[in-house]
Amino acid sequence: MILHTPALLAILAMALVTYLTRISGYLLLAGRHLSPRMQAIMDIVPGCVLAAVIAPDFATGHPADLLGLAATILAATRFSLLPTMLCGVITTGILRTILN
Amino acid sequence: MQTTSLPNKQDDFWPDFLRGMKTSLPLLIAFVPFGLLLGSQAVQKGFSIAEVPLLTGLNFAGGSEFAAVGLWSIPPAILLLAGVTFLINSRHILMSAALAPHLRHLPRWKVFLLLFFMCDEVWALTLTDLHARPGRRFSMGFYAGITVCLYLCWVIFTFMGGYSGNLLGDLTRYGVDMAFPAVFIMLLKGMWKGARNALPWCVSLGVAVLVYHFLPGAWYVPAGTLAGILTSLLVVRSI
Repeated sequence: MILHTPALLAILAMALVTYLTRISGYLLLAGRHLSPRMQAIMDIVPGCVLAAVIAPDFATGHPADLLGLAATILAATRFSLLPTMLCGVITTGILRTILN
Repeated sequence: MQTTSLPNKQDDFWPDFLRGMKTSLPLLIAFVPFGLLLGSQAVQKGFSIAEVPLLTGLNFAGGSEFAAVGLWSIPPAILLLAGVTFLINSRHILMSAALAPHLRHLPRWKVFLLLFFMCDEVWALTLTDLHARPGRRFSMGFYAGITVCLYLCWVIFTFMGGYSGNLLGDLTRYGVDMAFPAVFIMLLKGMWKGARNALPWCVSLGVAVLVYHFLPGAWYVPAGTLAGILTSLLVVRSI
């Protein structure tokens, strides 16, 4: 159980940056009233962020991964979270074994 | 005249807390293996066992933690690590902005405390819950329930991963990494409000894929999101 000062400083710096990103959006909008149009946009923005975050999974060139992703999406239209995850993980695992 | 009813009565805190814990349980399929993986990679990269839970407990942002472990050196390049962390976590600015209107009734110190724990999954589950509730009321108990479950799990399992070393081997061979996009796809489904609103999402995804392909680093997140927001400006104008 050792802590090194440079490592500690690096971890604290990262923690500070992460925390600042988390409060700054709130600080920008707190106490402001959003117009209906702005509100409608704010309803769409979270989905944009989510879609952008999973982009690397779609950018893969491996057919097994793309097919696994397609299976996950298909499962998501029918099932709840747990079966969808299992379906995605198992399908992808099997496809990787077969196709690689 | 009474203008607003009192939100978040004490007596629905614990039922909501349990509901939050239950809602977050399926996510442990992803949190447990990835926590173990992150911990073991971190130790191999030169983190001490005590530094692993410090990293994961103070950041609580998986994406930037994996990047930090990948870029780790001894001594660590602090500015580089902080810069990459900002790039990857800049999406939290938009996420907390989206949550802000629902937190208006809370005292600031409470909000500052809550937002410390706002990782992607906590944020998304909270927002999905808000949209499902009458009057879109923020539930403190629900937020606390998800947070306690996911945070403890993340810190404990990253620590165990560091402690036990490389027990799991290469998880991606088995498809466990598909658990993350599965969570996010489900969250998008929860926010679904018709194809028109989903157009900006598709633009965001498409641009992010292109940027990811051609630019190194995490630029694909802000680039995709920005393209999505620009599209949403057009979509909302035509409503």
